[in-house]
Amino acid sequence: MTLPNAFAADDSSERPKVLLVDDDDVTLLLTAVALRERGEFDIIEACSGEQALAMLEDWTPDVIVLDAMMPGLDGFATCQTLRGLAGYENLPVLMLTGLDDEASINRAYQVGATDFFVKSTQWSLLAGRLRHLLRSSRTRIELERSKSKLARAQDLARMGSFDWRKVGPHHVEGLSLAPEALRVFGFGPHDLVSLRRIVRMVPMPERRGMIRVLTGVVNQSTVLAIDVPVHLRDARVRIVHVEAEPEFNEHGHAVGYTGIVQDVTDRRVAEDRIRHLANFDALTGLPNRRQLIWRTERAIDHARRLHHRAAMLLIDLDRFKVINDTLGHGAGDELLVEVARRLRSCVRHSDQVMDSALETAGLRSHRTLEAVGRLGGDEFIALLPEVLDDADAERVSGRILEAMREPVWVSGQECFVTASVGISIYPRDGQTVADLMRNADVAMYSVKSTGRNASALYSPMLAGRGREKLELESALHKAIERNELVLHYQPKIDVRSARMVGAEALMRWQRGSTLVPPADFIPLAEETGLIVPLSEWALREAARQAKIWTLNFGFSDSIAVNLPNRMFERSDLVETIHQAVMGFGVPHRVIQLEITETGLMKDLQNVIPSLHRLTEIGVEISIDDFGTGYSSLAYLTTLPISELKIDRSFVRDLGITPQSSAVVTAIIALARSLGLRVIAEGVENLRQMEVLHRLGCTVMQGFLFSKPIPPDELEAWLQQTVLPRKAPWIVEAGAELVEAPRSSGIRRP
Amino acid sequence: MTHPQTTLIDHPAGVAAAAPAGVVLCPQALAVLAQLDPSGANQLFVRVMTTYCKSLARLVAQMVAARQPLDVAALRLATHTLKSSSASIGARALSEICGSAEAALRDGRLDDLSPMLDALLAEAEQVDIAVRQLLLPS
Repeated sequence: MTLPNAFAADDSSERPKVLLVDDDDVTLLLTAVALRERGEFDIIEACSGEQALAMLEDWTPDVIVLDAMMPGLDGFATCQTLRGLAGYENLPVLMLTGLDDEASINRAYQVGATDFFVKSTQWSLLAGRLRHLLRSSRTRIELERSKSKLARAQDLARMGSFDWRKVGPHHVEGLSLAPEALRVFGFGPHDLVSLRRIVRMVPMPERRGMIRVLTGVVNQSTVLAIDVPVHLRDARVRIVHVEAEPEFNEHGHAVGYTGIVQDVTDRRVAEDRIRHLANFDALTGLPNRRQLIWRTERAIDHARRLHHRAAMLLIDLDRFKVINDTLGHGAGDELLVEVARRLRSCVRHSDQVMDSALETAGLRSHRTLEAVGRLGGDEFIALLPEVLDDADAERVSGRILEAMREPVWVSGQECFVTASVGISIYPRDGQTVADLMRNADVAMYSVKSTGRNASALYSPMLAGRGREKLELESALHKAIERNELVLHYQPKIDVRSARMVGAEALMRWQRGSTLVPPADFIPLAEETGLIVPLSEWALREAARQAKIWTLNFGFSDSIAVNLPNRMFERSDLVETIHQAVMGFGVPHRVIQLEITETGLMKDLQNVIPSLHRLTEIGVEISIDDFGTGYSSLAYLTTLPISELKIDRSFVRDLGITPQSSAVVTAIIALARSLGLRVIAEGVENLRQMEVLHRLGCTVMQGFLFSKPIPPDELEAWLQQTVLPRKAPWIVEAGAELVEAPRSSGIRRP
Repeated sequence: MTHPQTTLIDHPAGVAAAAPAGVVLCPQALAVLAQLDPSGANQLFVRVMTTYCKSLARLVAQMVAARQPLDVAALRLATHTLKSSSASIGARALSEICGSAEAALRDGRLDDLSPMLDALLAEAEQVDIAVRQLLLPS
C-alpha cells in the first residue's frame, strides 16, 4: 500500500512557517536569508501589511514577524486587523521595533502583538525569539486542545463544572455553570440559570433535605457531596451528583464554591439494581434475610433511642412441604408468591427505606422500616418497628392468619394454607436481631406443637422447655445404646379366676437415678421419629421377657406392646415382629399389639393391611383407650382386631356418674356382638372392679391389682400375692365368681 | 563596539575586492554579511548591495521631495527605513545620522533638521560610491 502523496510530501511543512513583513527590502532580504540559513524555518516574505493580509486569506503561517514602521498599513494596523480575523486571534505575532522606541513597544502590545523584537543584525537572537514564540504557541494550542478534550470528556461523562460566589460587599450571589454543566440540567449553553432555578428543579421532599444540606455545608464551609433528583424541562427525572469544595480569599474567608455536577442516573439505576438483587428475594420481591436483618437493626436502634417497643413476627407456613411434594415446586413457588402478596397487605409495607442523607430527622422515619420479608423457604418475617404492646403485635398476627383463610389457587387447584406465627417483642424478648429471631422461632414452634394455624408470643418458659427438650432429645438418642430403657409390666387379671391372663409392657427410661415416665419422652420420641427404634426395641424386649417367663413359670399368655400408628404404616412391621420372636424361640402370639383408637382412625386405610397380616401370623390387636375416639362402627366390624380396651376415664367415673356405666355397658355389648374380648384399664378399687364385673367385663388391669413393675418383681408378685390368693380383690373376685357365673371374657376362635 | 578606522579586509571569494579605504562601511558588518553566504553560491553579497543601492536611491529621492514642501511623516518613514538598512550593510555613520534625523522628526525638533538632512544626503552619496565600488567586478 502506498501512502498518498499529500502525506509523503509533508516533510517541509514540519518546519514552522514564518511570515516576514517589512517594507525595507534590505532588511527583509537579510532577515529572510539569515533565518533560512539556519534551516529550521520556512520563510515567506511580504513587503507590506496589505500584502501580508492578502496572503493570510488562504494560508496560515505559524508565526508572523511584522515591521512596526511601514508606509500604508503599518505593523500596528496590520496586527490589529489580523487579530480581528477568524483563526488569527492567537497566532503569535512578533513586532520589530527600534531600539529606543518605547512608545512602539507599548503600542505593539496594545494592538495584540505577542512580543516585540528590537531590530538588529544579531540573527541568532531573532531565531531564538521565534523558537520561544512557537513553543509557547504550541503549548497554548495543546492547552486549548486539552481544554476542549476535557469539555468533550465531561460532556460524555455528563459532567460539568460550576462556580458559586457568596454575597459579598462588591458582588451579588452568583452561580455560573459551564456549558457542560448546563447541559446536565437540560439547558442550552447560553441559558442564564440561577441557583434558585436549579433548586426548584428538585422535587419537594428531597428539595427540603437538599436545602438543609446546602445550608449546613455553606455555613460550615465543608465539602459538598450529594445526589439529588431533578426534574428536567422535558419532564425527565435524572439523578445529579453534586460535588464541590469551598474557596477561600486571601483572608481565609470562604467566598464561594467550585465543583462539578454529574448526571449519575445510569449509575444509580445500575446500583439500585444491584442493591435490589442483594436485598430482595428474587421469587417474591420481598426484602430478603439480609435486608430484614439490616432493617431490624435500624428498628432496634430507633426503639432504643426513643424508648418504644418493636415486634418481630416469624411466619411459617404449615405443611408447605406437602404442597411442594404433591403439586411440585412450580406450584409451591406460585403459592409463596400469593402468600407474599397477602402478607404485604397485612402491614404498612415499605419497599424502600428512606435514605438518611435526605430524610428528615423526623420521629416517624423508622416507619419506613416496616415490612414483610422472606427469610427463605416458607418462612417469612413481619417487622413492626413500633408497637404499643403485645396486643398491637397480635392484631397483626391475627390479620396474617385471617389473610391465609381464603383458598389459594395454584396449578388450577384450590389449596388451603395456614401459618404458625411466633412473636417476639423488643426489648423484652431480646436486645439483638439474633435474640429476637431465635425467640420468635421458639414461639413459632410452640404454635406448631400445639396444633398450628395460630400465633404465640414468646415467653421464657417456652424457651426453657425448648432447651430442655433439646437435651432430652439428644439423651434419648443415646438411651437405647446405653441400655437405659426398660419395660415395666402391668398384669391383666381375669377376676373370675383371679389369675393373670397377660401383661401390658410399658416403657420406662432409667435416666441416671430417675425413672422418666413415658408421658415425658414418648411424645418427643414421636415428634422426632425416635419412636421407631424405641418400638422395635420394645418388641424384642417383650419377646425376650416372654421367653424368660415361659421358662420360669410356664407363661403362655401374651405381652401387649403399645405401638404408635406410624409403626403400623411400616411395611416391615411383620418382619420386625417375626425377627423378634424367632430370636427368642417364642410363638408369634406372645406379642399382642395395642393401638389407640385415635391412632387407628387417623390413618385407617394405611393401617388395615398391616392388621390383616399381623392377625394372619397370630399377633392379636387390641384397641387402646376405646370410647375416646370417634370410631366408625362400620369399620370396627371389618377390622381384624381381638380386643377392646375400655378407657380409664370411664372406669374412673363408674359408680359416680350414670353416663360412664352407660358407656361401659355399650362397649361391652358392642364387643360381645362383634365377638371381641373386652378389658378395663385403670381399675383402682374394689367398687370399680365389682361394677365392671357385674356389667360383664371380667378382665381388668389397674393399681388395684398391681402398678406396672419390673419383670422380676412381677414374678415375685405372682409368687407372693396371686398364688397364695392373699389380696383383697381375690376374695372379692372369688365371691363374685359364685354369684355371677355368666360373666366371662369372650375369646375369638 | 565602535570601529572608527575601517579598512576592507579579507573579502570573500566572488566579491569585488579593493574598495577604497574609508570610514563609510564597517568591515565587521560586511563580514557578518559574508558569513550568511560563506561559499558565495547565493550571490548574497551582490544581491544585498544591489538591493541597498536601489533602496538608497529611492529613499534619497523621497527625502529630497519631502523637504520642499516639508512632509514630516514621509521624511520620518524614509529616515527610519534608511537607518536600519544602512546599519545592515555597515553604513554606520549614515545609519546614525538617519537615527538622529528620525528622532528630531519624531520629537518635532525641526530647527535642527535642515543641516541634518544636508549631512545625511552627503553621507548617503559617500555610501553609494563605496557600495558601487564594492559591486565593481574585481
